[in-house]
Amino acid sequence: MSKVSNILEIAGLHARIADGREILKGIDLVAKPGEVHAVMGPNGAGKSTLSSVLVGKPGYEVTQGSVLYQGRDLLELAADERAREGIFLAFQYPVEIPGVNNIYFLRAALNAMRKHRGEAELDAAQFLKVVKEKLKLLDVGEDLMKRSVNVGFSGGEKKRNEIFQMAVLEPKLAILDETDSGLDIDALRAVANGVNRLRDPGRAIVMITHYQRLLDYIEPDFVHVLSDGKIVASGDKSLATELEQRGYAHLGSAA
Amino acid sequence: MRTREDVAPFLDAFHAIGIGDNEPSWLTTHRSTAMERFAELGVPGRDLEAWRFTDLRLLTANPIVPVAVASGAFDATALEPYKLPARAHRLVLVNGRFEPALSQIGELPPGAWIGSTAEALTTRPELVRQVGLDSVDTTGAQAFMSLNAGLFTDGFILALEPGVALETPVEILHFADASDANAFHMRNAIVLGASATASVVETFAGSGSGWTNTVTKIQLAESARLRHVKIQVEAPEAFHISMLRASLAARAAYEVFTATLGARLSRQDMQIDLEGEGADLALHGTYLLRGDQEATLAPFVNHRVQNCHTSEVLKGVLDERAHGVFLGLITVSPGADGTEAHQLNRNLLLSPNARVDTKPELEIYADDVKCSHGATVGDLDEASLFYLLARGIEPATARHMLIEAFVGDLVETAGLEGALAEHARKHISTWFDRPEAA
Repeated sequence: MSKVSNILEIAGLHARIADGREILKGIDLVAKPGEVHAVMGPNGAGKSTLSSVLVGKPGYEVTQGSVLYQGRDLLELAADERAREGIFLAFQYPVEIPGVNNIYFLRAALNAMRKHRGEAELDAAQFLKVVKEKLKLLDVGEDLMKRSVNVGFSGGEKKRNEIFQMAVLEPKLAILDETDSGLDIDALRAVANGVNRLRDPGRAIVMITHYQRLLDYIEPDFVHVLSDGKIVASGDKSLATELEQRGYAHLGSAA
Repeated sequence: MRTREDVAPFLDAFHAIGIGDNEPSWLTTHRSTAMERFAELGVPGRDLEAWRFTDLRLLTANPIVPVAVASGAFDATALEPYKLPARAHRLVLVNGRFEPALSQIGELPPGAWIGSTAEALTTRPELVRQVGLDSVDTTGAQAFMSLNAGLFTDGFILALEPGVALETPVEILHFADASDANAFHMRNAIVLGASATASVVETFAGSGSGWTNTVTKIQLAESARLRHVKIQVEAPEAFHISMLRASLAARAAYEVFTATLGARLSRQDMQIDLEGEGADLALHGTYLLRGDQEATLAPFVNHRVQNCHTSEVLKGVLDERAHGVFLGLITVSPGADGTEAHQLNRNLLLSPNARVDTKPELEIYADDVKCSHGATVGDLDEASLFYLLARGIEPATARHMLIEAFVGDLVETAGLEGALAEHARKHISTWFDRPEAA
């Protein structure tokens, strides 16, 4: 029996991509409110598949196991329903959408969520107030808001825009997919600061990363090592340090 | 060889309804000549390359001929949604005829004339000569143009003398009030003298299964500048055929924006000649179609002299069983060096049954030119769609946002501003009012 106090409860999850190759071969993971989990692993371990399955990206098929979100079956919900229920994915590669204004897009997203919760939608002026507050919190330039979604953004700006969206949408469960990839050290620090400000007793964060360096800036409560579609080791943040010293191969074979 | 069968109903109509009874005799002669030419040409068939993709069967199965309707009981409030949201020199044509009571031409600067074609024929013979209405144009084997020359009842004329800058836009509102099938043949002209400037907005709307067939001649003298917006939002059962012929003298600029949302079958031909050095053409357009709508856009541009520019961007959105056709041709004549011409046609196919035929062509007979052409046909971008869904936006809204983004930037790149931009955006957005088919 699941306890409703768990935000995320993954049990025995098997999944394959549309062409039939099995990628996830039995994942178990429980995240409670306030916790930050890091899922680490080498290329091809199944990290991106895990985040894709959790947010309902087309092209993946769950063959076994279950995923509960706040006690409910997550897998029966469409991607947009999951988002309105409070699941947020910070994309590894944020998509550029020419012609769709950033602020218009984000207001549509927030209002979809508010409508879903039975709250009044925000008009342009009310929304602008929310945006200004969050921009200040995350130290993001206001000019980014006037442009088309991610168009002409640098790599760092794109990742910061993801975290900014997370700040506005205030998810229950945030999944950060390789948020550190492609960032120089200053950009990484800025993004990490943003995430740290969004740590919240009511929110669970799952960070998916190849590299240990992100964990120097965002300290996780738990670290899980993913290898060949399974979690082969779980522990506290010291596991990450051990990983860095001895490599994935060592842990993989120990399992 | 064509038979006269397909043209017979039109010839009968020409004789029966007594068009031109009170006109100058030269015009009666011209009309007869034009009808003879039409009878020779017949209704264009799919064996003609330029008409290969256009399915005229609906129009030819039951030929639509002009029928005299008593005017009077027209409800003027029907025009409201189509009026430009700004002050304008407004000329209203209902069922192909100028309606002075519904029009509001207002005060014009000296050297400007706006009025109906019918009026010009009787009161302004020198203007009629100037805009070339006194000759029958039978070049280019354009059957519907000849038919128009034979059957036209009215239209509009805008003429500006050199140096006249018309600040207030000219608005031409064509309304078809056709509960029964009827045909409206209109002949228009825009003639701008050297350095004259004007904006003309034409809006075609109405109800019923009428057939609108317009011919518009445009002459821009040296350094004249014309902005021309055409919004076609006719009834879903209507037919719309239009031919535009423009000639640009040195440094003249013609900026045309066209949006096609209405009519069951529409075809818009443009023949634009850049005849003076440094002439500049910017053509932006969009067609948004669903159901069984078919629309053809056929701009033919001829760079006859050096250092002229053409920039064309046409975007189509096709849903359900709609069919879009783009036939674009840019010809660069021998010696027209320094030509810069770009042509792009992009299409979004939203349904497996929607179809597009696109033929962007360049014919270049000069050496020193910068030309490009291209066409794309595709569905909405999956990655963009998922990004919006992953933020909680509902699928229908997400699709709407992406389609609107696809066509929306055209209004901006066309340089439309103020009331003209608002007018274009408003009518484009009506496409989204109807729910998408499942």
